[in-house]
Amino acid sequence: MTKALNHQRQTRSAWIMLSPALILMMVILILPIMIAFGLSFTNYGLGVKSVDFVGLENYERIFTRSTFKKMFTATVLYVIIVVPFSVGLGLGAALLIQSVQRGREFYKTIYFLPVMASLLAMAIVWEFMLHPTIGVLNETLQGGCDSTVIHGLLTGSWYGADPLTSWYGDKCANGFPLWLGDRDYALWTICFIGIWQSFGFNMVLYLAGLTSVPKDLYHAAEMDGASSAWERFRLITWPMLGPTTVFVVTITVIRSFQVFDTVEAIFPDSGGPGKTAYVMMFAIYEKGIKQNLLGTGAAITVIFLMFVIAVTLIQRWFIDRKTHYA
Amino acid sequence: MINAFSLSSTIKHGVLILGALIVLVPFYMMVSYSFKSPGEIERNTGGFFGSQELMVDERCVKLQDPNKDEVIALRSRFPGLGDDGVRKAFMAEVERDCSMIPVVFNYSKAFSQAPLLRYLINGVIVTVSIFLIQIIVALPAAFALSKLRFLGRETVFNIVILGLLIPVHAIALPLYIMLAKVGLVNTYAALIVPWTISVFGIFLMRQFFMTVPDDLIDAARMDGMSEYAIVWRVMLPTAIPALLAFAIFSVVAHWNDYFWPRIVITGDRSLFTPPLGLREFKGDADGSFYGPMMATATIIVTPLIVAFLIAQKRFIEGITLTGMK
Repeated sequence: MTKALNHQRQTRSAWIMLSPALILMMVILILPIMIAFGLSFTNYGLGVKSVDFVGLENYERIFTRSTFKKMFTATVLYVIIVVPFSVGLGLGAALLIQSVQRGREFYKTIYFLPVMASLLAMAIVWEFMLHPTIGVLNETLQGGCDSTVIHGLLTGSWYGADPLTSWYGDKCANGFPLWLGDRDYALWTICFIGIWQSFGFNMVLYLAGLTSVPKDLYHAAEMDGASSAWERFRLITWPMLGPTTVFVVTITVIRSFQVFDTVEAIFPDSGGPGKTAYVMMFAIYEKGIKQNLLGTGAAITVIFLMFVIAVTLIQRWFIDRKTHYA
Repeated sequence: MINAFSLSSTIKHGVLILGALIVLVPFYMMVSYSFKSPGEIERNTGGFFGSQELMVDERCVKLQDPNKDEVIALRSRFPGLGDDGVRKAFMAEVERDCSMIPVVFNYSKAFSQAPLLRYLINGVIVTVSIFLIQIIVALPAAFALSKLRFLGRETVFNIVILGLLIPVHAIALPLYIMLAKVGLVNTYAALIVPWTISVFGIFLMRQFFMTVPDDLIDAARMDGMSEYAIVWRVMLPTAIPALLAFAIFSVVAHWNDYFWPRIVITGDRSLFTPPLGLREFKGDADGSFYGPMMATATIIVTPLIVAFLIAQKRFIEGITLTGMK
C-alpha cells in the first residue's frame, strides 16, 4: 500500500469513527446551549400558542425580583460555605490518614462511603435524623442537657460562665432549633449534608496528590531547619499540592453550584423556609419544568453556564500560571 | 518508632475515629430504622435492631374489614355467633395474619407498597445501556484521535476539551424541551439519550490509547484487519483496566442520578429509577411508613456500597478518574 493511499484510508476511517461522537456532541451539548440562549429572550412555554420576543425582560426580572435575589444569595452562600469546608476537611483527612501508621485503608474506606451512596437517599435519612421532635440529633442534644458533666463542659458553667450566654446552654433552656425548618439554620444544614457527602472525594484526590510529593524534599527541608510539622507543611506539602488544590477547588465549586437533590428532597415546594435554600438548579427546575416558564428557566440556565465557564477559565488561568515557571 | 504510639498519634486516631463516626451515623440510622417498628422509630428506642416484637399492620387489617355482605357470607365459618361476633372473630383472625416482625414488615412493604423491583430493574437497564452506548461511541472516536493521522485532528480534540466544560445537568432544560418536541419525555430513551455522549470518556480513552504502541496496530493492519476491527479486537482488550474504571465512574453517577430522571419522567411509575422511587415513597409516606421508606433507601444504597467494599481500589480509581483532567 502506498503512503498516500494509506493516509487517505486513515482520513476516511477517522471521520467515520468520529462522526457519531461529533453528531451527538452537536445535538446534545452545543444545540441545547444555543436553544437556551435563544429562548432566554422569549416568553416560550410548552403548549403555549404565541411566542413573543421579550428582549432582556427575563434577565431583567432575574436581576431585580426578590425571589431571584434569594436564588443568588442561596447559591453563592452554599458554594462559599461548602467549598472551603469540603476542601479543608478533605485535605485535613488526607494529611491525618497519611501520618498514621495503622488503619489508613480503614479510614479511607469509611470517608469515601458517602461519595458512593445516593445523595437523595442520604438526604432523606439526614432529614429524618434532624427532625425537631423525633430526630436523634435533638434528642441526643437534649439528653446532654440533663448530664451535669456535658452541660457543664459545653456551656462553660464549670469555669464559672453563665450557661445561658452559651449556645448550648441557651438551647437547653429554650429548646433546640428546628434545623431544616428554621430559616436561620436551613441553608447551613443543607450545606452540612453537602460537606458530609463530598469531602471524602476530595480526600482521595489529596491522598493521590500527597503520594507524588518527593520524600527527599522533606529531608532537605529538615536539614535547612524546617523542623516543625507546620513548617514542613507550609514550605513543601502545600506548594507541592498546588495543582491538586486548584483542581479540587474547581470541581467542588462546579458541583456545589449544581446542588439539587438535597434541596428538592427536603424542600420540594418552597426551596427552604423563606426560600433560604432556593438554589439555582432548583430554580431552573421550578420555573422551567414545574411552572412551564421556559424563557425564565432558559435565562437562569444561561447565567448558570456563565458561572461554570468562568470558574473553569479561572482554573485554567491558575494552571497556566503555575506551569509557566515550573 | 516508639513515637508512633505517642500522644500525637493517639490524638490523630481520636480525630479520625470521631470523623468516621460522623460519616457513619446516617448509614447506621438508615439501616437501624429499616429494622424497627413505627413506635420504636418515633420513640427512638430498641437499640440497633429493635425488639422485633410482633406488630400488626394496620393497613392490612383495615383492608380486610368485612362489610355487611361479607359478614353474611362469613356466617357459615363462625356458626352460632351473631353478626357482630362473626366480625370480631374474623378480625381476630385477620389481625393474626397481618402481624409480623417489624423487619419483615418494613422490607416486604418496601417491595409491595411500590414496584421497587421494577425501579431496580429500570436502574440496571438505564445504567447498563448508558455505559454500553458511551463505549460504542467513545472508543472509535478515541482511537481516531489517538492513532489515526488526518487533517483536523487537533481541532476535533480541542472541541472535545471544550465539551468537558459543559455539565449536562446545567443544560437540562433545553434538552428537556428538545425531548418534549420529539415526544420522548417519559420513555427510556429520555433517561438514556443525553448521556450517550461522554466527552470525558473520549478524553480518557484517548489518553489511554496514546500509551498503546503503534507496532501493535501496524501488525494488525498487516494482517488485513479493518480499522473498526482494530478498535474492538486489538484496542479494546488492552484498554480493559481503563474501561473498568470508566464503567464504575459511569454506573455510580447514573445509578445515583436524581435530577435528570426527575425532569424527564413525570408520573409514569413504571419508568422510575431507584432514586425517583424512593422520592415518591417519601411523598406518600405518613408516619407509620418511615420503616419501609428506610428499607427502600437501604436497598437502593446497598448494591454500590457492597460493590465498593469488595473492589475498593478500583472504585476509588474509577470515581476519581475526573482527577486526570
